[in-house]
Amino acid sequence: MLEVKNLRCSYGANQVLKDINFRVDKGEVIAIVGSSGSGKTTLLRSISFLHKADGGTIRFFDFEKDITRLKGSEIRRLRMRLGYVFQNFNLFRNMTVRQNVMEGLVTARHMDRAEAEKITDAVLEKVDMLERADYYPDQLSGGQQQRAAIARSIAFRPDVLLLDEPTSSLDPELTREVLNILTQLAADGITMVVVTHEMGFARNVANRVIFMEGGVVVEDAPAAEFFNHPKQEATKRFLRTVTDDCG
Amino acid sequence: MSERLWEILASSLPNLLLYCVKVTIPLTACIYALSLVLAFLLALVQVLNIRVLSGAARIYVWIFRGTPLIVQMYIIFFGLPSVGITLNAFPSAVIAFSLNYAAYMSETIRASIQAVPVGQTEAGYMIGLNYFQIMTRIVLPQAAKIAFPTLFGSLIGLTKDSSLAASITVVEMFKAAQQIAARTFEPLALYCEAALIYLMLNTALTLLQRYLEKRLSWKQPLTE
Repeated sequence: MLEVKNLRCSYGANQVLKDINFRVDKGEVIAIVGSSGSGKTTLLRSISFLHKADGGTIRFFDFEKDITRLKGSEIRRLRMRLGYVFQNFNLFRNMTVRQNVMEGLVTARHMDRAEAEKITDAVLEKVDMLERADYYPDQLSGGQQQRAAIARSIAFRPDVLLLDEPTSSLDPELTREVLNILTQLAADGITMVVVTHEMGFARNVANRVIFMEGGVVVEDAPAAEFFNHPKQEATKRFLRTVTDDCG
Repeated sequence: MSERLWEILASSLPNLLLYCVKVTIPLTACIYALSLVLAFLLALVQVLNIRVLSGAARIYVWIFRGTPLIVQMYIIFFGLPSVGITLNAFPSAVIAFSLNYAAYMSETIRASIQAVPVGQTEAGYMIGLNYFQIMTRIVLPQAAKIAFPTLFGSLIGLTKDSSLAASITVVEMFKAAQQIAARTFEPLALYCEAALIYLMLNTALTLLQRYLEKRLSWKQPLTE
């Protein structure tokens, strides 16, 4: 469904992504793991065009093109089908939770208001935020904000939901809140790519785990295989460190 | 205080209030409206980084912030007639003040737009909005809230600064006080009276600011 080939990306002279090949199929939940600075977030940002790639091709269903040659209108059309959840939520601060969700439906997609309201209520219900629909982001906890942000990006039924460390700025309790929602979405069959440090989530919810280090994909394997029989030395080393950290 | 002084103060008060309502307030309102529009345009071309215009805006700000307001007023009112452009005192003051205030206010607006976190724009793109929609629905409303106290401060400053227009013969409230003081030889009392009216005016504006700031806040009254 979504595939990138030979994706290259850099910050100045520092090459952050080196020839990444990566593909997502419908219904898959992919966890991207790796230590900080390995290029996970940049990967997510460049496939949603928030960071300009230096080279590579992108294929989305039957649309395929050199990622550096996309026109503004093509980028916008692709983004219309991608949901994105940010590490620090990025809810629109001048809008209530409900307005945040409605915005993508009514303003961006010109949906009928009544219909948009129905969808908004349904997604807010799903993330257990309906009661706080009329609150502004500043009045909510981090976990509530992230749940609202998730509602905002699933409301328009994206083909793929990209989540960039959705729980990294939350404390353990709020992390659990958000992970429960994500687990539920996975059960609903929503295609997801999650950059995460939550190994428990990667192991239990993801179908596939991708381990990145130094801007390359070191290992890409089904979750069970990844955790039980990692092939690469670097992956074994990484898994040892994270399990040590967990005690 | 002598009875004569009371009488002078009492009889000059309606006069001063009249000039306040008839000249000072309209003068301030005209200048503020014009400079707000101009400042917004100056800020926008810089934020959008429109090639030639953005450079022109920076040069504009450099010149009008870098020279005294009173000199700018003198150039327009006393200087321009020598090249065949003659303007009355009131429009001269409006033009000079607007050009000057717009330079300052454009910096406030530009900084406020740039103070809106880039994540807000990115989130806008990722739900499918275009640049125009992001600006009008997300960035500008947030920037307006950030800019509001400073821009309102400019209005309060302008109310007082409008008295400078007296120097190019605009008969506003301060000039009126000057004229009465010259006639009655009571400068201390008259200038204090004018000062008090300015203070009242700005007290009202300060209260208005507080009210509007509360209205602008993005908080739903929480039910207890």
